[in-house]
Amino acid sequence: MTSSHLGTRADPGSFRDPTNRVFHDGDQVLRGLDPQAARDWAALAASAFFAGLLAEGKVCGTAQVDPAVLPGWTAVLRHERIPFVSHPYEWSFGMLRDAALLHLEILRRALPAGFSTKDGSAYNLQWRGATPIFIDIGSFTPLTDGEPWAGYRQFCQTLLYPLLLQAHLGLDFQPWLRSRVDGIEPDQMRRLFRGARRLLPGVPTHVHLHGAMQRRHAGASSADVRAQLRSAGYSRELALATVRGLERLIRRLDHREESSHWVDYQRTCSYTAPDRVEKERFVETAVQAAGGPRLVLDLGANDGRYARIAARHAAVVVAVEQDPAVVDTLYRTLRAEGDQRILPLVMDLADPSPGGGWGGVERAGFTTRARADVVLALAVVHHLAIGRNVPLGQVVDQLLGCLRPNGRLVVEFVHPEDPMARRLLANKPDGIFPEYRRDVFERLLAARCRVERQRELPSGTRTLYQVVVGD
Amino acid sequence: MHLAYLDAGSGSLIVQAVVGGVAGAAVAAKLYWRRLVDRFRRQPTDRG
Ligand SMILES: C[S@@+](CC[C@H](N)C(=O)[O-])C[C@H]1O[C@@H](n2cnc3c(N)ncnc32)[C@H](O)[C@@H]1O
Repeated sequence: MTSSHLGTRADPGSFRDPTNRVFHDGDQVLRGLDPQAARDWAALAASAFFAGLLAEGKVCGTAQVDPAVLPGWTAVLRHERIPFVSHPYEWSFGMLRDAALLHLEILRRALPAGFSTKDGSAYNLQWRGATPIFIDIGSFTPLTDGEPWAGYRQFCQTLLYPLLLQAHLGLDFQPWLRSRVDGIEPDQMRRLFRGARRLLPGVPTHVHLHGAMQRRHAGASSADVRAQLRSAGYSRELALATVRGLERLIRRLDHREESSHWVDYQRTCSYTAPDRVEKERFVETAVQAAGGPRLVLDLGANDGRYARIAARHAAVVVAVEQDPAVVDTLYRTLRAEGDQRILPLVMDLADPSPGGGWGGVERAGFTTRARADVVLALAVVHHLAIGRNVPLGQVVDQLLGCLRPNGRLVVEFVHPEDPMARRLLANKPDGIFPEYRRDVFERLLAARCRVERQRELPSGTRTLYQVVVGD
Repeated sequence: MHLAYLDAGSGSLIVQAVVGGVAGAAVAAKLYWRRLVDRFRRQPTDRG
């Protein structure tokens, strides 16, 4: 079933469940439902638990609209637009943990009301600032009593296992999720948790027993197994007990980095107070000049100081930072404040998230998603140009590439004489970056865009630029 | 081992009974017992 109404475009990440599909029409997010999905939706829309979740903002805003907007579908829903779609491998530990807990909470509230979810994927969740929301409304299905949760395996593979890797072994989970669209298999996990590690919380059951059962029953049809479990007395209460057990387990899992170089950056960095005041003022003025931007990207955001300033004037700020510990700290602070505007993400700008999944487009890459009104690149150019050897012109191109037509870039150039630039240069062979100079940087900017404002900071070793690109 | 999406995987279903405490273990035991009995019942006819 497809819909090729002029102007509507099928979401490339929404095809796995053929009973419903997401489409985009301009800024509108629509979901087409087939007859079965339409019946399930009618039941869901009439239920009190779902109304509660909607009112609390825990599921994405959803309303039924005229089905004529998507020819070929029985019913059509319109969803709240997620301002910036992110992927679980761009989240910090605390984010993945809160996403997992929200998924379980939704299931815990759905089960007594006679509903379940068809799947249990981390991709069912997105963010409104630092607040997780469940987006896959098509996943709700009336519960068949006596059946265990169909999403348990996916929940393990995309949520529980990555959390176990990080909490128990101290491994960053992001690369594991980024390279496997379906998450980590029990069989892989089993090999990482041998010896005494077998006994760590959650491991004996959800990893080893689960893996053993999968191997043992690989040939059995799941329809038969469902019927056998039902007749053996599997109940809704048992399903609830499993969900509660998972919630308890995940609440106990924790991971705090002892320390990383960047965690203390704002305390130990080389700014003088007058520099900071000037810089804050420059950034705030630039964001204000954009006239209520919808999306600001803060690249190399560190503790989010400038993301917060931008958020005073922007609808949404995405704070991108390579250091997972820094992102996790920022996330926990924002979450405690109940933030709904600033989304912190883990990503290395020198290795942005590629497109993934089917056709390489099921999960959109970062450059496809980054269409900002304002990009902040503050004290980060030297990390890319000197630290990562990226030619200065390509750094500028990359930053400008994250903008919409008429978007603005606010960029700080750290002069080669600055103590921080000198420290980076000291690690490189002498004289290998003759082009890392302020005049070269200014020429590169002038060749690509119009400089609206610029200001040298009082210490004299850093300059800020506000530039605008044409369309 | 790649299991299709929306296919819960038989092992992943059964393990949810096993992790469900005493009541769950009872369900799992009953399931296994029945499978065992079924197998014994089926075997003679299979051969004959
Ligand atoms: C000097 S701090 C600047 C922080 C903040 N933008 C400011 O102006 O105060 C540089 C930050 O960029 C981050 N960073 C450096 N290289 C990066 C990269 N390749 N991708 C993402 N972040 C990076 C560092 O982890 C650090 O938090």
